Amino acid sequence: MRKFLIVLMVVLALFVFAKQKIVLNSYASDPAPKKALAELVKMFEEKYPDYEVVVNTFAHEDFKTLLRTWLNSPDAPDVVTWFAGERMRYFASKGLLEPLDDVFTDKSFDSYFPAAFKSSCEYEGKIYFLPQSWYWWGVYYRKSVFEKYGLKTPKTWEEFLKVCEILKNNGITPIAIGTKYLWTAAGWFDYLNMRINGLEFHKKLTAGEIPYTDPRVKKVFDYWKVLVEKGYFLENHPSYSWQEAASFLFRGEAGMYLMGQFIKDVAPEEVKNDLDFFRFPIIDEKVGLYEDTPIDGFMIPAKAKHKEAAKFFLKFIASKEAQEFYAKSLGRLAANKNVPAPDAHAEKGLKMILASDGVMQFYDRDTNPEMATVGMNGFVEFMVYPNNIDKILENLEKARKRIFKK
Amino acid sequence: MKRRIMKGTIFYVLSTILVITWMLPFFIAFFTSLKSMDEIMIGKGWWYPPKAWKWDNYKTAWVDANMKRYFLNSFIITVPSVLGALFVSSLSAFALSWYEFRLNKPILMIFVGGMLIPFQMLLIPVYRFSVNTGLYDTYLGVILFHIAFQTGFCTFFLRNFMLTIPKSLFEAAKIDGAGDFMIYRKIIMPLVVPALAALGILEFTWIWNDYLWSLVLIQSDRIKPVTLGLTNLQGQWITSWNIIAAASILAALVPIFVFLVFQRYFIEGLTMGSVKG
Amino acid sequence: MKRRWWVPYAFLALPLTMYVIWVIIPIFQTFVFSFTDWDGVSPTYHFIGFENYKEIFSDPYFMLSLKNNIKWLLAFVFLSVPAGLGVAILLDQKFPGGKVYKTMMYLPMTLSFVVIGQIWSWILEPKYGALNTFLRTIGLSNLAKPWLSDPGVVTYALIAAASWRQIAYAMVLFLAGLKNVPRDLVEAAYVDGANSWQRFWYVILPLLRPAMVIAITVSVIDSLRAFDIVYVLTRGGPFYSSSVLANYMYIQSFHNYRMGFGASIAVVQFLITFGFILLYLLNVFKREEKF
Repeated sequence: MRKFLIVLMVVLALFVFAKQKIVLNSYASDPAPKKALAELVKMFEEKYPDYEVVVNTFAHEDFKTLLRTWLNSPDAPDVVTWFAGERMRYFASKGLLEPLDDVFTDKSFDSYFPAAFKSSCEYEGKIYFLPQSWYWWGVYYRKSVFEKYGLKTPKTWEEFLKVCEILKNNGITPIAIGTKYLWTAAGWFDYLNMRINGLEFHKKLTAGEIPYTDPRVKKVFDYWKVLVEKGYFLENHPSYSWQEAASFLFRGEAGMYLMGQFIKDVAPEEVKNDLDFFRFPIIDEKVGLYEDTPIDGFMIPAKAKHKEAAKFFLKFIASKEAQEFYAKSLGRLAANKNVPAPDAHAEKGLKMILASDGVMQFYDRDTNPEMATVGMNGFVEFMVYPNNIDKILENLEKARKRIFKK
Repeated sequence: MKRRIMKGTIFYVLSTILVITWMLPFFIAFFTSLKSMDEIMIGKGWWYPPKAWKWDNYKTAWVDANMKRYFLNSFIITVPSVLGALFVSSLSAFALSWYEFRLNKPILMIFVGGMLIPFQMLLIPVYRFSVNTGLYDTYLGVILFHIAFQTGFCTFFLRNFMLTIPKSLFEAAKIDGAGDFMIYRKIIMPLVVPALAALGILEFTWIWNDYLWSLVLIQSDRIKPVTLGLTNLQGQWITSWNIIAAASILAALVPIFVFLVFQRYFIEGLTMGSVKG
Repeated sequence: MKRRWWVPYAFLALPLTMYVIWVIIPIFQTFVFSFTDWDGVSPTYHFIGFENYKEIFSDPYFMLSLKNNIKWLLAFVFLSVPAGLGVAILLDQKFPGGKVYKTMMYLPMTLSFVVIGQIWSWILEPKYGALNTFLRTIGLSNLAKPWLSDPGVVTYALIAAASWRQIAYAMVLFLAGLKNVPRDLVEAAYVDGANSWQRFWYVILPLLRPAMVIAITVSVIDSLRAFDIVYVLTRGGPFYSSSVLANYMYIQSFHNYRMGFGASIAVVQFLITFGFILLYLLNVFKREEKF
């Protein structure tokens, strides 16, 4: 009898004192974000000792493949890192995500995050995505290279072309780009489209509502063609990943690179302070200023086993304290609007975005995943064979019709 | 004698040229493993020796990147898988090479057929199966899968080698009253040792370097093998090529060592004497 | 003494059962998926009959991938296998240090694909890569092409990178096979006055048959199944010009969320490979009967 009681006590104790476990699968395999996340987890566990968070990290590409299988499995993780926008909505629309409205019962979404973010985090009126950090895109350039040739950062398209011409005449590749993995070309498409046709048009296009053969789309490529034909882009760019192409910028062999803020993370020490960015040049004065600001954060699978604990964890993530810590460690911008920018570089980015009229997530996060692949392949093909543009656009249109069934 | 010298010279010259050319990528990997990240990002001399030899990349790989743990996991997964695959497929190879029965060729084709499917296609069905049977995210789940999956190729391979053993041996043993299993164990198996050695090397290397199946069947960091651990170093934006190269070289040392150890069995040429009979 | 009929089946029980559970059944499931529009994510899907297959045969990228696979096949069977054989014979000579050479030649197989891919992309890099720098130094600058971004040469560059490893694989197979070649037979031929070439062609080669069969079978399968090198080096780009079936299938299934369509590509790939292998092995079996 006594033995039984002891066993019973032990079992009860295990139950009572057992920590609530949260399984978090993350794609943040870069050393700095990984460390920052680990420290965030530690902060959480220290503040709330009843919880235990197990973080499993995966390489980025693998994560994308596996996420699909996890969401459908009865053994789903409790929290996963992911992107806002269409990439998230794709899963929400199939009922694979848990709505997060419970996290915001006492403090609304808007009290934490800018209203502009809401549309990228919700689906059919419910919130499914918890934003953690975001970054901007801009044209990064070498200050010393610009100084050497007496160049000022261009504000308009004409000024931009002039800068390219001068760089080219001096043996510097005006624009670095590595299109091996396709998405860098999509950056150019996004910005040209937003500068020429505006935000509403870009939104509709990525939502599959506008044909790719529309003359306004063609106009984007007419401007792009100028850059391609004048040879302003890095030679043989399809051979390079974005990282390899960045080497040209770092060595001073290229002058500019349209890229996200993380390029500064990767720059070698001796070059870091020589890197700055400017807003993508204005093409049409009448069109507003729109930028790409991809947002990263977390979601909860609908099949997660510890949903309440997961939601509690996300509430912590949304807090000013957690967001500030994460942003500071990485020089990123926290989604929480009450957190100041961590450094001068981020401050500049934030100012640029606050002065903008609207934002998108980025082509491959704004449109259907399959359309994104087909689209990006088309962009790169255009950059190599600009005269095929009509055929390329027709193919994109065929795909659009099939994918969006419109 | 002169002929031998000439032959020798040709041998050494050709072999050396061949090996040096072949080793070039390895030298590059080695150099990369000793560079600093900044040097790699500047990126011009990707294949030059490093400016400063950063040996602590190896320490970083072993400690910070947790290679220690991943190595252990790789062993826990690979060794039983290889032994299991060799044993299990030796059974089927024996059956298919020595016995004539109607289903012999069709069953062989089943084993061969399974080798042909592109792995990626098996991902989802196998994943679902292991989740449903509770084998997901366990050592056992991965080991069983590897044994089963490799049985196709190993059966095919061993059967082919077993066919070279003269039937007379088999008949003689039968007349002496030996049971089938005895014949398998005491006569045939010892004769295919070189084939087992070669196969063992291939299988060990293959499973040690396996990436795809570990990716699908393992989720927890604590049981991840080296191949998965390596990719943790591939960031969303940047990849620490120097640490990856260092870790890869560390990881490659194991199959190399295995090759050195089992190569002996090739050289011994045990088969020759008994087969001729 | 009549042989008990169930003996072979007893031996086959364990291997066959495991194989059926882990390999054969999943293959059938893939067959089933190929007739659906499953996207790999949703809990539901619909049967759409042969729609996927119809789409494949009018898909230019599929045809391109198939053509590339044939190039891989020819290169592996007619270049890598003989090269592997040549290397095995070269290194199998009884000279001191032979073991060291053999080990070094085996090394390519020990490195993970991710690293091999990255290193080859550095070697093949158009501006500063090892290959082009070498070509320019010896005066062959016009051969210094942008290997991975020129649609005309990219597949050949990939095949070269893959052969680096494949030849090592073939070498190991042939080294094992050469152990089955009795020295005294070769000696006897030498005594009979046969020269090196005749000794090779009429004595050694026929005795290497088991190894040759495996080497060729493996090369056919690996070439039609090529994935890792392509995926790591180019993803099948630039715009599908280096795409192979497995790569195309992977992108459709996992990047484009079209698991059903991807499954149909896999099935077609499987059938083609099976066809080749069947033809080859039937031929081999026929000769085995005579043996």
